[in-house]
Amino acid sequence: MLGLSFRSHPHSARLLSMFACAVVSTLTVMTVQAQDVIRFGAPLPLTGPLAPEALKQQQGYNLWAEQVNKAGGIKVGDKKMKVEIVYADYQSNTPRAVQTAERLITQDKVNFLFSPFGSGAAKAASTVSEKYGVPTIASTASSAAVYDQGYKYLFGTFTPNDTLTTPLVKIVKQKAPEVKRVAILARNDLFPLAIAQEMDKAAKQNGFDVVFFEKYAINTMDHSSALSQIKAKSPQWIFVTGYINDLILIKKQMDDQKMQAPVVTMIAGPAYKEFVTATGKTSENISSAAWWHPAERYQGQDIFGSTENYTKLFRDKYKAEPDYAQASASVSGALFQMAIEKAGSLDRNKVRDELAKMNVQTFYGPVKFGPNGQINSLKPPVFQIQNGQPVVVYPAAIKQGEFRLGVK
Amino acid sequence: MLILQILLNAIVLGSLYACIAVGFSLVWGVLNVINMMHGSFIVLGSYLAWGAYKALGIAPWTSLLIAAPVFFCIGYGIQRGVLNRVIAAPVLVTLTLTFGLDLILNNAMLVAFTADYRQLVLDPSLGSLSAGSLVVPIDRIVAMVFSLLLTLALFLVLRRSRIGRAIVAVRMDRDAARLMGVDVPSIYATAFGLGAAMAGCAGVLLAMIFPISPIASGSYLGKAFVVCVLGGLGSVPGAVVGGLFLAIVESFGSLVLGPENSVTLSFGLLIVFLIFRPQGLLGKRGFE
Repeated sequence: MLGLSFRSHPHSARLLSMFACAVVSTLTVMTVQAQDVIRFGAPLPLTGPLAPEALKQQQGYNLWAEQVNKAGGIKVGDKKMKVEIVYADYQSNTPRAVQTAERLITQDKVNFLFSPFGSGAAKAASTVSEKYGVPTIASTASSAAVYDQGYKYLFGTFTPNDTLTTPLVKIVKQKAPEVKRVAILARNDLFPLAIAQEMDKAAKQNGFDVVFFEKYAINTMDHSSALSQIKAKSPQWIFVTGYINDLILIKKQMDDQKMQAPVVTMIAGPAYKEFVTATGKTSENISSAAWWHPAERYQGQDIFGSTENYTKLFRDKYKAEPDYAQASASVSGALFQMAIEKAGSLDRNKVRDELAKMNVQTFYGPVKFGPNGQINSLKPPVFQIQNGQPVVVYPAAIKQGEFRLGVK
Repeated sequence: MLILQILLNAIVLGSLYACIAVGFSLVWGVLNVINMMHGSFIVLGSYLAWGAYKALGIAPWTSLLIAAPVFFCIGYGIQRGVLNRVIAAPVLVTLTLTFGLDLILNNAMLVAFTADYRQLVLDPSLGSLSAGSLVVPIDRIVAMVFSLLLTLALFLVLRRSRIGRAIVAVRMDRDAARLMGVDVPSIYATAFGLGAAMAGCAGVLLAMIFPISPIASGSYLGKAFVVCVLGGLGSVPGAVVGGLFLAIVESFGSLVLGPENSVTLSFGLLIVFLIFRPQGLLGKRGFE
């Protein structure tokens, strides 16, 4: 019908050419815009069980992109280019993360890539970015196994898991030489268990006596039996890993059973404000470690300038405290920005080389990547809840208070 | 001493499990409806207790007086308005319907309260009772006592009251009950209302003990399932026995096999019972 009416209409040819002109000019505008924008691909588990983590990543990337665009964009040679983050959901399904990363590179034509969430997915997707030679920053992958493939294009902003446990062990050894008996209770899950195993190793190497090391299942509703067993061993250091709901419940049940110890460490709940709110006064003197904490005080050369400024910008935008996951996402963007500006081009190899030789101060801490691509300059802070506030007690350069003993 | 402490923990935990399961068991037993909303009702009850304590300083045990009628009305309304329309359909239809309603309710809670974990922290804390090295937290004892009282009250309602006898009659033979002049749709709604009220009250009591989040509803529902199968479907004493049995198995399983196996153990037990003793420990005796 349409073809017939065109043929029968005297002005059809002109109409058609006008339409064609319009289409061509729109396409031209789009290409011009595309040239002025640097596209970063972010495959994330936006739906499914990992969605809360993806949301944190997204907040971190968005905050960075917003700041960059507000400042006019990234300086590439003598012009400024805006930033666009292309999100793609892989539904918390790791095999799909790899396809999603590939699609972002081949179809969405992103210039650079952020890794999918966690060590497993980051490792899987790194093969794709290596194949296409796309510089990729993993902002949530800590396991050394991600970086042992000899890849050139993968970089990561989390130090290995033992960098969280080793400083803790050293501090306790130094501050409380009488503490010898350690009990470890770990959530039977990838990261919480890996951290507990590192703790077990570090404790034994430093002459501690690990009197209890057990795992609890995901979705455990009651820990009283495990805690009674720990209490019976009278440990001086209770080390528990899990996520926030587990740790709130375990702390409550520890109080119920009147369990006290000179040192109680929990990873990774106390980094979140909800933990302190939910446990109230009983969280006093609980120690923890994370890759970054808003209480740190770094002055950086990046777009955020300082930890304080980053925290303020984050609070203004999201009305909440940033934690290490969000900060790591933001710093990943800022590192790309610095590498691109230094390279003065969007050439992937040049940017990759700049990342590889990078040695800068950021709001997140000093950043320098090892030969395997994993950051090796960062000293993850140890902190302790004191008077209801997280206080950094290590490293010495940024510490805000002394490590205290006694958790009731 | 450790054994005694673990036994004590198990008895207290078992009463809480009974409280979680008894309303679920009633609805399943009488209406033949597997109420997938049960876990969300419990969480909603916890939010009610948390909100009442935080905003108005109302202690959780006082909140029971609010929760019971409120949840009864919610349950009664849902049964009358929605479920009664499909009650004669196969169990899969009502299961799917309550599953759908649960998705709505749970997501509404996620929007209203977010997935953040909250904790009702009593101030001053009730503390713990200790005798020698044995310790029992008082909030758990309070929850246990109220759980058992509520369960006993439900038992008496079903056994002694006219409406209770009608519920039991409908459960035993719906057609005969209808011939005797029992208003079946209204009895269904009452039974569902009672189930919801029990869930809401359980939530109020559990708010003192477990962190509160919409995400927790699945765990409560899972426990209710296991307890019902262990104790015997539709039986009030069965829920108590099933709850205690589950808690004892989990606690001592944790001691012997390690804490990581206690959840596996409880679901393994579920399978064993479904195969070898589907009527549960107390059999299918109903509410007589």
